[in-house]
Amino acid sequence: MTERLEKGLQVLRAEMDKKVMSFFSSCVNCGICAESCLFYTETGDPRYTPIYKTEPMRKLWKNEYSFWGKLKSKLGMSESMTEADLSDWEELVYDGCSMCGRCSMVCPVGVDISMVIFKVKHALAVAGFSPEGLVGATQRAVDIGSPMGITMKAVLATIKHAEANTGLKIPLDVEGADYLALLSSNEIALYPEYLESLAKIFDHAGVSWTLSSDAYEATNSGLQIGNKAIAGQLVQRVVDGAAKLKVKNVISPECGHAYTALRWEGPNFVGKAYPFRVVHILELLDELQAQGKLKTTGMETDRLTFHDPCSIVRRGGVQAQPRNLLRPITQNFVEMTDHGSMNWCCGGGGGVSSNERAEGLKHTAFNRKKSQIEEIKVDAVVTACSNCRMVMEEGLEFNEMDIPLLGLTELIAEHLAEKPH
Amino acid sequence: MVGHFSKQIIYEAVKLSIILLLAVCVTLPEVASANAPRQQKDFPQGVSAVSPGSDLWRDVRQRDLPLQGAVPLQGVTQVQGVESGVLINAQGDRWARFRTENPVRYAPMALLGVISILVLFYAMRGKVGIDGGLSGRMVKRFTDYERIVHWTLAIVFLWLALTGLILLLGRTLLIPLFGHHVFSLLASASKEGHNLIGPIFLVSLVMMVISFARRNIYEKGDLTWLLKGGGFIGKGHVSGGFFNMGEKSWYWMVILIGFAISISGLILVMPSLGQGRVIMAISHVVHVFGAIVLIAVSLGHMYMGSIGTEGSIEAMKSGYVDINWVEAHHDRWAKQVKENNLILSAEDFARLQGRKFDPADTVTEQS
Amino acid sequence: MIAYLIDGPLWYFSLAVFCIGVLWHLARIIFTRGRTDLSVARGSAGGGAIRNVFSRFIPHREIASQIGLPVVAGYMFHLGLFAVLFFAAPHVIFLEENLLGFGWTPMPHWAFIVASQFAFFGLILLWLRRMLTSVGRLISTTDDHVAAILTFVVMLTGCLALLKGFPELRLLHRFTVELLLIYFPFSCLMHTFTFIPSRAFTGAWFGRRGIDA
Repeated sequence: MTERLEKGLQVLRAEMDKKVMSFFSSCVNCGICAESCLFYTETGDPRYTPIYKTEPMRKLWKNEYSFWGKLKSKLGMSESMTEADLSDWEELVYDGCSMCGRCSMVCPVGVDISMVIFKVKHALAVAGFSPEGLVGATQRAVDIGSPMGITMKAVLATIKHAEANTGLKIPLDVEGADYLALLSSNEIALYPEYLESLAKIFDHAGVSWTLSSDAYEATNSGLQIGNKAIAGQLVQRVVDGAAKLKVKNVISPECGHAYTALRWEGPNFVGKAYPFRVVHILELLDELQAQGKLKTTGMETDRLTFHDPCSIVRRGGVQAQPRNLLRPITQNFVEMTDHGSMNWCCGGGGGVSSNERAEGLKHTAFNRKKSQIEEIKVDAVVTACSNCRMVMEEGLEFNEMDIPLLGLTELIAEHLAEKPH
Repeated sequence: MVGHFSKQIIYEAVKLSIILLLAVCVTLPEVASANAPRQQKDFPQGVSAVSPGSDLWRDVRQRDLPLQGAVPLQGVTQVQGVESGVLINAQGDRWARFRTENPVRYAPMALLGVISILVLFYAMRGKVGIDGGLSGRMVKRFTDYERIVHWTLAIVFLWLALTGLILLLGRTLLIPLFGHHVFSLLASASKEGHNLIGPIFLVSLVMMVISFARRNIYEKGDLTWLLKGGGFIGKGHVSGGFFNMGEKSWYWMVILIGFAISISGLILVMPSLGQGRVIMAISHVVHVFGAIVLIAVSLGHMYMGSIGTEGSIEAMKSGYVDINWVEAHHDRWAKQVKENNLILSAEDFARLQGRKFDPADTVTEQS
Repeated sequence: MIAYLIDGPLWYFSLAVFCIGVLWHLARIIFTRGRTDLSVARGSAGGGAIRNVFSRFIPHREIASQIGLPVVAGYMFHLGLFAVLFFAAPHVIFLEENLLGFGWTPMPHWAFIVASQFAFFGLILLWLRRMLTSVGRLISTTDDHVAAILTFVVMLTGCLALLKGFPELRLLHRFTVELLLIYFPFSCLMHTFTFIPSRAFTGAWFGRRGIDA
């Protein structure tokens, strides 16, 4: 029993709860989950069957919780777990799973397979069986404050550019503001127009908001690698920053897993309910539109569709809002055949896009999104997750398809009407 | 006075007893001989008269009823139903004898005959190999669904064949082996098992038609294949498409004879649909002879698909076949496969089976 | 002697193992610690739980065409078996005389035959799918195969014993039923009961987030 194995098994034991017990009792290995997973459908490799990815935890359950396992142990006949039981699953769980959760939607006996895979990821992360790319990103997030190594200096530069481009002041560290806006490293690095859009929209709608120099990063590498302690550490920074500025609401940006980390799992990671409300930017924009504070003008005439980011829509529940926001500004909107909570993943979530080793597999998995887009023959794809956007841009370029990706918040900012008041 | 009377009574009683005893002694032999076989010479010669009842029964029995087109005599009865006016089924005994003399006799001969041919063939020709052996590069031949349909039909067929043979041959073969009691259990179980699973065979057959009929239609080159003996007799390469003529012949045999067995089986298992005994008897004959033919030829199919040819069983296990196997047996399909770039490397094939590729996996047998 | 055991002590033993085993397994799930979710719910967990227990009977449109075979064969098998188990005349009588003290109208004989044919056909298709697809072969365990084959044997021995005059065949069926009852609580067959909490937990999780899963 190596130390790594022992650490990993300890995590698996701690993660065992009534849900997991009911899941493993109910799974009859029907394999229907495979048909929902893009890593299986695009490669044909049965090892990417979602429930197969949970095998390390299932083996522990069999050995230590099931009748036959316990009997075999008493008789000295049990197959004890080895390091290979963890390390052999690293590729399946990190490269071959984007935590998209589509499998959890289709299991006939209701197993939340994605949740169990995350528990396995937790064990692998603690045991030290994680891809280099993610380990590096997590280290940078803890040490520097951003997985991409973006310091406050870079943020200040972005703020300066945004102020120059918009002619608006971007509030920083304003105590008592209603909304604390977070950013993702991807947005700062690749799509700084997001910050400009926020400034324009909030100015238009009269929203009192601020950025925080203590808590600017929404991306949670701890969640991506599966280390709950680090995930909690990163969420705590946001909690502390929000407390310091005494804000009532925190806005999760256009970043998929950040919403999961902050809105849904965060309180559990830090062990306490928040004193503030967490809202996804799309939820806020939808509220503002419903209240009449956000008015748009003009229509996109291109044939457009919406890619549903998994962590925001299927696992996050923000499904109607993007459509409510797109409807007034698009003339020619068409849904993908599989859309909403049953849309397909872009293939880059769950840390896959930070994992260089998974590059080839990610491109193969992207074939599913590619065929979805080709089927409806659109001119452009709108989405609301900077990671999805980056992954799809790369994927479309790889396939030599000249279809632009648009950010939803930016699109709304481009169609802002005169200020309502 | 009393003494005088009792002496008198006793004297009379004894006299009566002796007379009675004599009477019994005289008549007893008569009574005995009345139960004994009558001896002509004991009887005075009587007049020979035919019982009027025997004419009636001879007509009803219709023992000399011609085979073709004759209808059993029907009377009029209170009970209304199919053939309820038929008192004795004239054909019944004939059918029972036919069954004992034909299918019961010929079925074991046919089966043993086929098995002998196969054993001889394997002894003389051996396993039909592939030039150059197996390469490890694979081509997809059958989808998951197609293989599931095939094996469903196969399992159901084997069960029906087993239970059917027990019903056909049990009396002659199994009663001497296991005795009446055990056989009665076997027979009852077989009858129930055969009748319940039978309709599933029909459904599987329909699925077989849908999945495979198109590729089994006759093409140019099939007759040549047949005339050349499929390359199994003697040497020489014969051209074949996706399915060669041997496979097509077996396929249509299964479909056509299978449907005949299924329809006749349904008639037999639902006797109250309005059919008479003649239809039931004909159905039985069709059913049992069709079954014997199918079982016999299926032994050949099972042989050819497993130990008979190298690389064949893989088609129905994983659905993939070696490219060398394709070129050896289905060269016209091989051409299409190569043109459309459908050949998988050994590594890719291993990955699709959920395995890591191991070079030792590729078996290269020389034929 | 064997008949006495099968109709007597073994029957009571198997019934006890089944009842105690199932209850204990379910109790273990219900009374194991749960985790309180500290996030603010958007929708109803309870509503989501109940809805999910029923909604999972119907596959999502987006995946339905890919999983046609397991869904159709699965329903054929489960519905056929359920119908035969609870509505076949011999079983209704058995339950009335040996367990419940009351019975109900059984289904007509022809329906019983059709239901059992569905059950056989469905199970054969499902087990072959397990053996013939790469996914099925990779993830199936011994438990899955034993459960399928044992269930099949129970159904088959039941079919073989249809003609009432052969007690040995009926005893064989009863014996295989007893084996199944003993095996049941320690196998994947527990999904018969645990699918309800499993679907409910996941439904609650999605319900809190306002997602219709």
